[in-house]
Amino acid sequence: MPDPSPTRGLRLGVCGPVGTGKSSLIALLCRELAGRMSLAVVTNDIYTDEDARFLRASGVLTPERIRAVETGACPHTAIRDDITANLLTVEELEEEFAPDLVLIESGGDNLTATFSPALVDTQVFVLDIAGGGDVARKGGPGIERADLLVVNKTDLAPHVGVDRDRMVADAEAARDGRSVIALSRTDRASVDALTAWVTAEVARHRAGELVPTDPGPMAAHSHDHPAA
Amino acid sequence: MDHVPTDLLLMLFADARLPVAGHTQSAGLEAAVQHGLTSAEVPAYMSARLATTVRVEAGTAVVALHRLDHELPLEPVVAAWAARTPSHALRRTSRAQGRAMNRLSASLWADGAAVRRVARLDGCPRPVALAGAAAAAGLDALSLARLVGYDDVQTVASASLKLLPLDPAAATGWVHDALPEVAAAAEDVAGLTDPRDIPATAAPQTEVWAQAHARSTRRLFSA
Ligand SMILES: Nc1nc2c(ncn2[C@@H]2O[C@H](COP(=O)(O)OP(=O)(O)O)[C@@H](O)[C@H]2O)c(=O)[nH]1
Ligand SMILES: [Mg+2]
Repeated sequence: MPDPSPTRGLRLGVCGPVGTGKSSLIALLCRELAGRMSLAVVTNDIYTDEDARFLRASGVLTPERIRAVETGACPHTAIRDDITANLLTVEELEEEFAPDLVLIESGGDNLTATFSPALVDTQVFVLDIAGGGDVARKGGPGIERADLLVVNKTDLAPHVGVDRDRMVADAEAARDGRSVIALSRTDRASVDALTAWVTAEVARHRAGELVPTDPGPMAAHSHDHPAA
Repeated sequence: MDHVPTDLLLMLFADARLPVAGHTQSAGLEAAVQHGLTSAEVPAYMSARLATTVRVEAGTAVVALHRLDHELPLEPVVAAWAARTPSHALRRTSRAQGRAMNRLSASLWADGAAVRRVARLDGCPRPVALAGAAAAAGLDALSLARLVGYDDVQTVASASLKLLPLDPAAATGWVHDALPEVAAAAEDVAGLTDPRDIPATAAPQTEVWAQAHARSTRRLFSA
Protein backbone atom coordinates (compact mmCIF):
# COMPACT_ATOMS: atom_id res chain seq x y z
CA MET A 1 0.00 0.00 0.00
CA PRO A 2 1.38 3.42 -0.87
CA ASP A 3 1.55 5.90 1.96
CA PRO A 4 -1.72 7.85 1.60
CA SER A 5 -0.17 11.16 2.66
CA PRO A 6 3.60 11.13 2.09
CA THR A 7 5.27 13.82 4.16
CA ARG A 8 8.47 13.82 2.14
CA GLY A 9 8.93 14.78 -1.50
CA LEU A 10 9.41 12.49 -4.48
CA ARG A 11 12.69 10.62 -4.80
CA LEU A 12 13.57 10.24 -8.48
CA GLY A 13 16.48 8.07 -9.62
CA VAL A 14 18.38 8.72 -12.86
CA CYS A 15 20.47 5.78 -14.07
CA GLY A 16 22.05 4.56 -17.29
CA PRO A 17 25.57 4.15 -18.71
CA VAL A 18 28.27 6.79 -18.35
CA GLY A 19 28.07 9.63 -20.85
CA THR A 20 24.43 9.11 -21.81
CA GLY A 21 23.52 12.49 -20.31
CA LYS A 22 22.32 11.85 -16.74
CA SER A 23 24.00 14.90 -15.21
CA SER A 24 22.83 17.06 -18.10
CA LEU A 25 19.28 15.78 -17.70
CA ILE A 26 19.34 16.58 -13.99
CA ALA A 27 20.71 20.07 -14.68
CA LEU A 28 17.98 20.52 -17.29
CA LEU A 29 15.26 19.44 -14.86
CA CYS A 30 16.62 21.76 -12.20
CA ARG A 31 16.54 24.68 -14.62
CA GLU A 32 13.02 23.85 -15.77
CA LEU A 33 11.52 23.08 -12.37
CA ALA A 34 13.39 25.32 -9.92
CA GLY A 35 10.83 28.11 -10.27
CA ARG A 36 7.97 25.72 -9.54
CA MET A 37 9.23 23.49 -6.74
CA SER A 38 11.95 22.99 -4.17
CA LEU A 39 14.73 20.65 -5.37
CA ALA A 40 17.81 18.77 -4.15
CA VAL A 41 20.32 16.45 -5.84
CA VAL A 42 22.46 13.48 -4.76
CA THR A 43 25.24 12.22 -7.04
CA ASN A 44 27.05 8.86 -6.87
CA ASP A 45 30.31 9.42 -8.67
CA ILE A 46 32.53 6.41 -9.02
CA TYR A 47 35.82 8.15 -8.65
CA THR A 48 35.37 11.90 -8.46
CA ASP A 49 32.87 14.45 -7.32
CA GLU A 50 32.79 15.65 -10.92
CA ASP A 51 29.01 15.26 -11.28
CA ALA A 52 28.33 17.22 -8.11
CA ARG A 53 30.78 19.90 -9.20
CA PHE A 54 29.27 20.05 -12.70
CA LEU A 55 25.83 20.54 -11.21
CA ARG A 56 27.03 23.12 -8.69
CA ALA A 57 28.86 24.98 -11.45
CA SER A 58 25.74 25.01 -13.61
CA GLY A 59 24.36 27.32 -10.93
CA VAL A 60 20.81 26.00 -11.06
CA LEU A 61 20.67 25.12 -7.36
CA THR A 62 22.50 26.49 -4.35
CA PRO A 63 25.60 24.33 -3.75
CA GLU A 64 24.42 22.97 -0.39
CA ARG A 65 21.46 21.30 -2.09
CA ILE A 66 23.80 19.14 -4.18
CA ARG A 67 25.60 16.35 -2.29
CA ALA A 68 27.99 13.66 -3.49
CA VAL A 69 28.03 10.14 -2.05
CA GLU A 70 31.22 8.07 -2.29
CA THR A 71 30.55 4.54 -3.41
CA GLY A 72 33.87 2.81 -2.67
CA ALA A 73 34.00 1.66 -6.30
CA CYS A 74 30.68 -0.12 -5.75
CA PRO A 75 28.17 2.06 -7.63
CA HIS A 76 25.70 -0.82 -7.93
CA THR A 77 25.84 -1.66 -4.24
CA ALA A 78 25.19 1.96 -3.35
CA ILE A 79 21.92 2.14 -5.28
CA ARG A 80 20.74 -1.42 -4.95
CA ASP A 81 21.79 -3.59 -2.02
CA ASP A 82 23.41 -1.38 0.61
CA ILE A 83 21.63 1.88 -0.11
CA THR A 84 22.43 3.27 3.37
CA ALA A 85 24.85 6.02 2.32
CA ASN A 86 22.36 7.31 -0.24
CA LEU A 87 19.38 7.07 2.09
CA LEU A 88 21.19 9.00 4.81
CA THR A 89 22.13 11.75 2.35
CA VAL A 90 18.60 11.95 0.96
CA GLU A 91 17.14 12.07 4.47
CA GLU A 92 19.63 14.78 5.42
CA LEU A 93 18.55 16.93 2.45
CA GLU A 94 14.90 16.28 3.23
CA GLU A 95 15.41 17.33 6.82
CA GLU A 96 17.24 20.52 5.86
CA PHE A 97 15.26 21.69 2.85
CA ALA A 98 12.00 19.70 2.70
CA PRO A 99 12.33 19.50 -1.09
CA ASP A 100 9.39 18.51 -3.32
CA LEU A 101 11.79 16.48 -5.43
CA VAL A 102 15.17 14.84 -4.77
CA LEU A 103 17.03 13.73 -7.90
CA ILE A 104 19.56 10.92 -7.42
CA GLU A 105 22.13 10.26 -10.15
CA SER A 106 23.63 6.78 -10.22
CA GLY A 107 27.33 6.25 -10.81
CA GLY A 108 26.46 4.51 -14.02
CA ASP A 109 28.94 2.10 -15.52
CA ASN A 110 26.86 -0.32 -17.49
CA LEU A 111 23.47 -1.32 -18.74
CA THR A 112 22.31 -3.49 -15.87
CA ALA A 113 22.28 -1.22 -12.81
CA THR A 114 18.92 0.03 -11.54
CA PHE A 115 17.78 1.59 -8.27
CA SER A 116 16.23 -0.27 -5.39
CA PRO A 117 12.61 0.79 -4.86
CA ALA A 118 13.61 1.26 -1.21
CA LEU A 119 15.75 4.22 -2.32
CA VAL A 120 13.71 5.87 -5.08
CA ASP A 121 9.99 6.17 -5.73
CA THR A 122 10.40 6.29 -9.48
CA GLN A 123 13.33 6.02 -11.91
CA VAL A 124 14.49 7.14 -15.33
CA PHE A 125 16.88 5.08 -17.44
CA VAL A 126 18.90 7.15 -19.92
CA LEU A 127 20.29 5.85 -23.23
CA ASP A 128 22.42 7.74 -25.73
CA ILE A 129 21.18 7.58 -29.29
CA ALA A 130 24.81 7.58 -30.40
CA GLY A 131 25.22 4.28 -28.50
CA GLY A 132 23.49 2.71 -31.48
CA GLY A 133 19.97 1.75 -32.48
CA ASP A 134 20.40 -1.85 -31.25
CA VAL A 135 20.77 -0.98 -27.59
CA ALA A 136 17.06 -0.40 -27.00
CA ARG A 137 16.14 -3.69 -28.66
CA LYS A 138 18.71 -5.67 -26.66
CA GLY A 139 16.92 -4.61 -23.49
CA GLY A 140 17.81 -5.17 -19.85
CA PRO A 141 16.00 -4.35 -16.62
CA GLY A 142 16.39 -0.57 -16.86
CA ILE A 143 15.56 -0.31 -20.54
CA GLU A 144 12.54 -2.59 -20.25
CA ARG A 145 11.10 -1.67 -16.87
CA ALA A 146 12.36 1.67 -15.54
CA ASP A 147 9.39 3.99 -15.03
CA LEU A 148 10.67 6.14 -17.89
CA LEU A 149 13.17 5.43 -20.66
CA VAL A 150 14.87 8.46 -22.16
CA VAL A 151 16.50 8.04 -25.58
CA ASN A 152 18.79 11.02 -25.31
CA LYS A 153 20.69 13.34 -27.68
CA THR A 154 18.32 12.77 -30.59
CA ASP A 155 19.91 15.80 -32.27
CA LEU A 156 22.89 13.50 -32.95
CA ALA A 157 20.86 10.84 -34.77
CA PRO A 158 21.61 12.01 -38.32
CA HIS A 159 25.33 12.25 -37.52
CA VAL A 160 25.63 8.73 -36.17
CA GLY A 161 23.42 6.99 -38.69
CA VAL A 162 20.72 5.99 -36.24
CA ASP A 163 17.04 6.06 -37.16
CA ARG A 164 15.49 7.85 -34.21
CA ASP A 165 11.90 6.77 -34.81
CA ARG A 166 12.97 3.20 -35.29
CA MET A 167 14.94 3.22 -32.04
CA VAL A 168 11.99 4.69 -30.14
CA ALA A 169 9.64 2.11 -31.67
CA ASP A 170 12.03 -0.69 -30.63
CA ALA A 171 12.18 0.73 -27.12
CA GLU A 172 8.40 0.97 -26.90
CA ALA A 173 8.06 -2.61 -28.07
CA ALA A 174 10.57 -3.76 -25.43
CA ARG A 175 8.70 -1.84 -22.72
CA ASP A 176 5.17 -3.09 -22.94
CA GLY A 177 3.61 0.36 -23.08
CA ARG A 178 5.78 2.01 -20.40
CA SER A 179 6.81 5.62 -21.14
CA VAL A 180 9.57 6.50 -23.61
CA ILE A 181 10.76 10.03 -24.33
CA ALA A 182 13.09 10.87 -27.22
CA LEU A 183 14.99 13.80 -25.74
CA SER A 184 17.35 16.46 -26.94
CA ARG A 185 18.19 19.56 -25.02
CA THR A 186 17.80 21.43 -28.29
CA ASP A 187 14.26 20.11 -28.89
CA ARG A 188 11.87 22.20 -26.82
CA ALA A 189 8.90 19.87 -27.22
CA SER A 190 10.90 16.93 -25.88
CA VAL A 191 12.07 18.97 -22.88
CA ASP A 192 8.46 19.87 -22.15
CA ALA A 193 7.46 16.21 -22.39
CA LEU A 194 10.15 15.32 -19.85
CA THR A 195 9.17 18.01 -17.34
CA ALA A 196 5.50 17.08 -17.77
CA TRP A 197 6.32 13.45 -16.95
CA VAL A 198 8.31 14.43 -13.84
CA THR A 199 5.64 16.88 -12.68
CA ALA A 200 3.00 14.18 -13.07
CA GLU A 201 5.12 11.77 -10.99
CA VAL A 202 5.44 14.40 -8.25
CA ALA A 203 1.66 14.80 -8.29
CA ARG A 204 1.06 11.03 -8.21
CA HIS A 205 3.44 10.76 -5.26
CA ARG A 206 1.69 13.58 -3.42
CA ALA A 207 -1.65 11.93 -4.00
CA GLY A 208 -0.27 8.72 -2.53
CA GLU A 209 -0.82 6.88 -5.82
CA LEU A 210 2.77 6.07 -6.69
CA VAL A 211 3.92 2.56 -5.82
CA PRO A 212 7.71 2.16 -6.28
CA THR A 213 8.47 -0.83 -8.48
CA ASP A 214 11.68 -2.71 -9.11
CA PRO A 215 12.77 -2.82 -12.75
CA GLY A 216 14.97 -5.84 -12.35
CA PRO A 217 17.61 -7.64 -11.67
CA MET A 218 16.21 -10.02 -14.26
CA ALA A 219 13.50 -10.10 -16.82
CA ALA A 220 10.39 -11.86 -15.61
CA HIS A 221 10.19 -14.75 -17.99
CA SER A 222 7.54 -17.21 -18.90
CA HIS A 223 7.61 -19.80 -21.60
CA ASP A 224 6.61 -23.41 -21.83
CA HIS A 225 9.18 -25.74 -20.38
CA PRO A 226 9.37 -29.04 -22.22
CA ALA A 227 8.14 -31.96 -20.13
CA ALA A 228 11.03 -33.78 -18.44
CA MET B 1 14.44 -12.57 22.92
CA ASP B 2 16.01 -16.01 22.93
CA HIS B 3 19.66 -16.08 23.86
CA VAL B 4 21.87 -15.76 20.78
CA PRO B 5 25.41 -17.14 21.11
CA THR B 6 28.13 -14.47 21.03
CA ASP B 7 29.91 -15.97 18.05
CA LEU B 8 26.78 -15.72 15.94
CA LEU B 9 26.24 -12.09 16.96
CA LEU B 10 29.84 -11.33 16.04
CA MET B 11 29.37 -12.95 12.64
CA LEU B 12 26.34 -10.77 12.05
CA PHE B 13 28.12 -7.56 13.06
CA ALA B 14 31.41 -8.33 11.30
CA ASP B 15 29.83 -9.36 8.03
CA ALA B 16 30.67 -7.00 5.17
CA ARG B 17 27.10 -7.52 3.98
CA LEU B 18 25.77 -5.64 7.03
CA PRO B 19 24.00 -2.67 5.44
CA VAL B 20 25.91 0.14 7.13
CA ALA B 21 27.65 1.58 4.06
CA GLY B 22 30.90 -0.24 4.89
CA HIS B 23 31.75 -0.27 1.19
CA THR B 24 32.28 3.50 1.36
CA GLN B 25 35.18 3.11 3.83
CA SER B 26 38.87 2.26 3.46
CA ALA B 27 40.02 2.90 7.08
CA GLY B 28 42.31 5.60 5.77
CA LEU B 29 44.03 3.32 3.27
CA GLU B 30 43.09 5.34 0.21
CA ALA B 31 44.64 8.48 1.68
CA ALA B 32 47.73 6.51 2.68
CA VAL B 33 48.10 5.04 -0.83
CA GLN B 34 47.71 8.49 -2.33
CA HIS B 35 50.65 9.50 -0.18
CA GLY B 36 52.83 6.65 -1.33
CA LEU B 37 51.97 3.64 0.84
CA THR B 38 52.78 0.46 -1.10
CA SER B 39 51.15 -2.92 -1.11
CA ALA B 40 54.06 -4.40 0.87
CA GLU B 41 53.46 -1.86 3.63
CA VAL B 42 49.78 -2.66 4.15
CA PRO B 43 50.39 -5.19 6.97
CA ALA B 44 52.47 -2.59 8.81
CA TYR B 45 49.69 -0.10 8.21
CA MET B 46 47.21 -2.52 9.81
CA SER B 47 49.50 -2.97 12.81
CA ALA B 48 49.98 0.76 13.16
CA ARG B 49 46.24 1.27 13.26
CA LEU B 50 45.82 -1.51 15.82
CA ALA B 51 48.35 0.27 18.02
CA THR B 52 46.73 3.70 17.60
CA THR B 53 43.34 4.58 16.09
CA VAL B 54 41.77 1.21 16.78
CA ARG B 55 42.50 1.55 20.50
CA VAL B 56 40.72 4.90 20.56
CA GLU B 57 37.75 3.39 18.72
CA ALA B 58 37.58 0.18 20.72
CA GLY B 59 38.16 2.00 24.01
CA THR B 60 35.36 4.42 23.19
CA ALA B 61 33.04 1.54 22.31
CA VAL B 62 33.60 -0.44 25.53
CA VAL B 63 33.34 2.62 27.78
CA ALA B 64 30.10 3.58 26.04
CA LEU B 65 28.82 0.02 26.53
CA HIS B 66 29.65 0.17 30.24
CA ARG B 67 27.85 3.47 30.63
CA LEU B 68 24.83 2.19 28.72
CA ASP B 69 24.66 -0.85 30.98
CA HIS B 70 24.93 1.38 34.08
CA GLU B 71 22.68 4.14 32.78
CA LEU B 72 25.40 6.76 33.01
CA PRO B 73 25.55 9.78 30.66
CA LEU B 74 27.19 9.20 27.28
CA GLU B 75 28.19 12.79 26.50
CA PRO B 76 31.54 12.45 28.32
CA VAL B 77 32.35 9.42 26.13
CA VAL B 78 31.61 11.35 22.95
CA ALA B 79 33.68 14.27 24.22
CA ALA B 80 36.59 11.97 25.13
CA TRP B 81 36.42 10.34 21.68
CA ALA B 82 36.33 13.72 19.92
CA ALA B 83 39.32 14.96 21.92
CA ARG B 84 41.25 11.87 20.79
CA THR B 85 40.20 12.25 17.14
CA PRO B 86 41.67 15.60 16.12
CA SER B 87 40.88 15.33 12.40
CA HIS B 88 37.59 16.98 11.60
CA ALA B 89 37.28 14.78 8.50
CA LEU B 90 37.59 11.60 10.56
CA ARG B 91 35.10 12.79 13.15
CA ARG B 92 32.63 13.61 10.39
CA THR B 93 33.08 10.22 8.74
CA SER B 94 32.70 8.40 12.04
CA ARG B 95 29.49 10.31 12.74
CA ALA B 96 28.12 9.44 9.29
CA GLN B 97 28.91 5.78 9.99
CA GLY B 98 27.31 6.14 13.40
CA ARG B 99 24.11 7.32 11.75
CA ALA B 100 24.23 4.36 9.36
CA MET B 101 24.64 1.96 12.29
CA ASN B 102 21.88 3.66 14.28
CA ARG B 103 19.58 3.41 11.28
CA LEU B 104 20.10 -0.35 11.20
CA SER B 105 19.82 -0.70 15.00
CA ALA B 106 16.54 1.19 15.01
CA SER B 107 15.20 -1.42 12.67
CA LEU B 108 16.64 -4.50 14.41
CA TRP B 109 16.07 -3.45 18.03
CA ALA B 110 13.20 -0.99 17.73
CA ASP B 111 12.43 -1.10 21.44
CA GLY B 112 16.01 -1.23 22.72
CA ALA B 113 16.56 1.56 25.26
CA ALA B 114 20.31 1.65 24.50
CA VAL B 115 19.65 2.09 20.79
CA ARG B 116 17.33 5.00 21.50
CA ARG B 117 19.85 6.59 23.87
CA VAL B 118 22.74 6.58 21.38
CA ALA B 119 20.50 7.75 18.54
CA ARG B 120 19.49 10.80 20.61
CA LEU B 121 23.10 11.93 20.99
CA ASP B 122 24.17 14.95 19.03
CA GLY B 123 26.66 13.52 16.49
CA CYS B 124 26.90 9.93 17.69
CA PRO B 125 30.25 8.49 16.47
CA ARG B 126 30.49 4.96 15.11
CA PRO B 127 31.98 3.31 18.24
CA VAL B 128 29.17 4.68 20.42
CA ALA B 129 26.56 3.56 17.88
CA LEU B 130 28.18 0.11 17.92
CA ALA B 131 27.99 0.11 21.71
CA GLY B 132 24.26 0.83 21.47
CA ALA B 133 23.80 -2.13 19.14
CA ALA B 134 26.00 -4.32 21.37
CA ALA B 135 23.96 -3.39 24.44
CA ALA B 136 20.72 -4.18 22.62
CA ALA B 137 22.01 -7.45 21.18
CA GLY B 138 23.74 -8.61 24.35
CA LEU B 139 27.33 -8.47 23.14
CA ASP B 140 30.00 -8.26 25.89
CA ALA B 141 32.79 -5.66 26.07
CA LEU B 142 35.63 -7.94 24.98
CA SER B 143 33.68 -9.15 21.95
CA LEU B 144 32.79 -5.57 21.07
CA ALA B 145 36.45 -4.52 21.24
CA ARG B 146 37.43 -7.48 19.04
CA LEU B 147 34.73 -6.52 16.58
CA VAL B 148 36.10 -2.98 16.29
CA GLY B 149 39.64 -4.27 15.69
CA TYR B 150 38.63 -7.00 13.27
CA ASP B 151 36.43 -4.66 11.28
CA ASP B 152 39.25 -2.15 10.93
CA VAL B 153 41.71 -4.73 9.61
CA GLN B 154 39.14 -6.24 7.25
CA THR B 155 38.20 -2.77 5.96
CA VAL B 156 41.84 -2.10 5.11
CA ALA B 157 42.16 -5.50 3.42
CA SER B 158 39.08 -5.17 1.25
CA ALA B 159 39.95 -1.59 0.28
CA SER B 160 43.44 -2.76 -0.65
CA LEU B 161 41.90 -5.02 -3.28
CA LYS B 162 40.35 -1.98 -4.90
CA LEU B 163 43.36 0.32 -4.53
CA LEU B 164 46.38 -1.94 -5.05
CA PRO B 165 46.62 -4.84 -7.48
CA LEU B 166 46.65 -7.92 -5.32
CA ASP B 167 45.81 -11.59 -4.92
CA PRO B 168 42.78 -11.55 -2.59
CA ALA B 169 44.18 -14.55 -0.75
CA ALA B 170 47.20 -12.42 0.19
CA ALA B 171 44.94 -9.72 1.64
CA THR B 172 43.05 -12.30 3.67
CA GLY B 173 46.43 -13.64 4.82
CA TRP B 174 47.21 -10.20 6.24
CA VAL B 175 43.93 -10.22 8.15
CA HIS B 176 44.66 -13.69 9.47
CA ASP B 177 48.15 -12.71 10.55
CA ALA B 178 46.85 -9.60 12.31
CA LEU B 179 44.37 -11.54 14.45
CA PRO B 180 46.72 -11.95 17.46
CA GLU B 181 47.28 -8.19 17.46
CA VAL B 182 43.52 -7.63 17.21
CA ALA B 183 43.06 -9.90 20.21
CA ALA B 184 45.78 -8.10 22.19
CA ALA B 185 44.37 -4.65 21.44
CA ALA B 186 40.92 -5.83 22.50
CA GLU B 187 42.27 -7.32 25.77
CA ASP B 188 43.98 -4.04 26.55
CA VAL B 189 40.84 -1.93 26.38
CA ALA B 190 38.04 -4.39 27.24
CA GLY B 191 38.04 -3.54 30.95
CA LEU B 192 37.83 0.24 30.56
CA THR B 193 34.88 1.99 32.16
CA ASP B 194 36.00 5.61 32.54
CA PRO B 195 36.05 8.01 29.55
CA ARG B 196 39.31 9.49 30.88
CA ASP B 197 41.01 6.13 30.42
CA ILE B 198 40.21 5.78 26.73
CA PRO B 199 43.65 5.57 25.08
CA ALA B 200 44.75 8.88 23.56
CA THR B 201 46.65 7.17 20.77
CA ALA B 202 45.57 8.99 17.64
CA ALA B 203 48.00 8.63 14.73
CA PRO B 204 48.95 12.15 13.60
CA GLN B 205 50.08 11.01 10.14
CA THR B 206 46.77 9.24 9.52
CA GLU B 207 44.92 12.33 10.69
CA VAL B 208 46.88 14.61 8.36
CA TRP B 209 46.30 12.27 5.42
CA ALA B 210 42.59 12.09 6.27
CA GLN B 211 42.33 15.87 6.19
CA ALA B 212 44.01 16.02 2.76
CA HIS B 213 41.84 13.16 1.50
CA ALA B 214 38.63 14.94 2.45
CA ARG B 215 39.67 17.83 0.21
CA SER B 216 40.81 15.72 -2.73
CA THR B 217 38.47 15.62 -5.71
CA ARG B 218 39.45 12.12 -6.80
CA ARG B 219 38.55 9.39 -4.39
CA LEU B 220 36.68 6.12 -4.23
CA PHE B 221 36.15 6.07 -0.47
CA SER B 222 34.73 8.61 1.92
CA ALA B 223 37.70 7.97 4.27
N1 LIG C 1 24.29 16.55 -28.54
C1 LIG C 1 23.84 16.41 -27.30
N2 LIG C 1 24.72 16.20 -26.32
C2 LIG C 1 24.25 16.05 -25.04
C3 LIG C 1 22.87 16.13 -24.73
N3 LIG C 1 22.72 15.93 -23.39
C4 LIG C 1 23.97 15.75 -22.89
N4 LIG C 1 24.89 15.82 -23.87
C5 LIG C 1 26.35 15.70 -23.74
O1 LIG C 1 26.69 14.36 -23.43
C6 LIG C 1 27.91 14.34 -22.65
C7 LIG C 1 27.72 13.49 -21.41
O2 LIG C 1 26.73 14.08 -20.59
P1 LIG C 1 26.65 13.88 -19.02
O3 LIG C 1 25.40 14.57 -18.59
O4 LIG C 1 27.91 14.25 -18.35
O5 LIG C 1 26.47 12.28 -18.96
P2 LIG C 1 26.45 11.29 -17.67
O6 LIG C 1 27.79 10.65 -17.61
O7 LIG C 1 25.38 10.30 -18.00
O8 LIG C 1 26.12 12.12 -16.48
C8 LIG C 1 28.23 15.78 -22.34
O9 LIG C 1 29.23 16.21 -23.21
C9 LIG C 1 26.92 16.51 -22.60
O10 LIG C 1 27.11 17.86 -22.97
C10 LIG C 1 21.94 16.39 -25.83
O11 LIG C 1 20.74 16.48 -25.67
N5 LIG C 1 22.50 16.51 -27.07
MG1 LIG D 1 27.11 12.23 -14.65
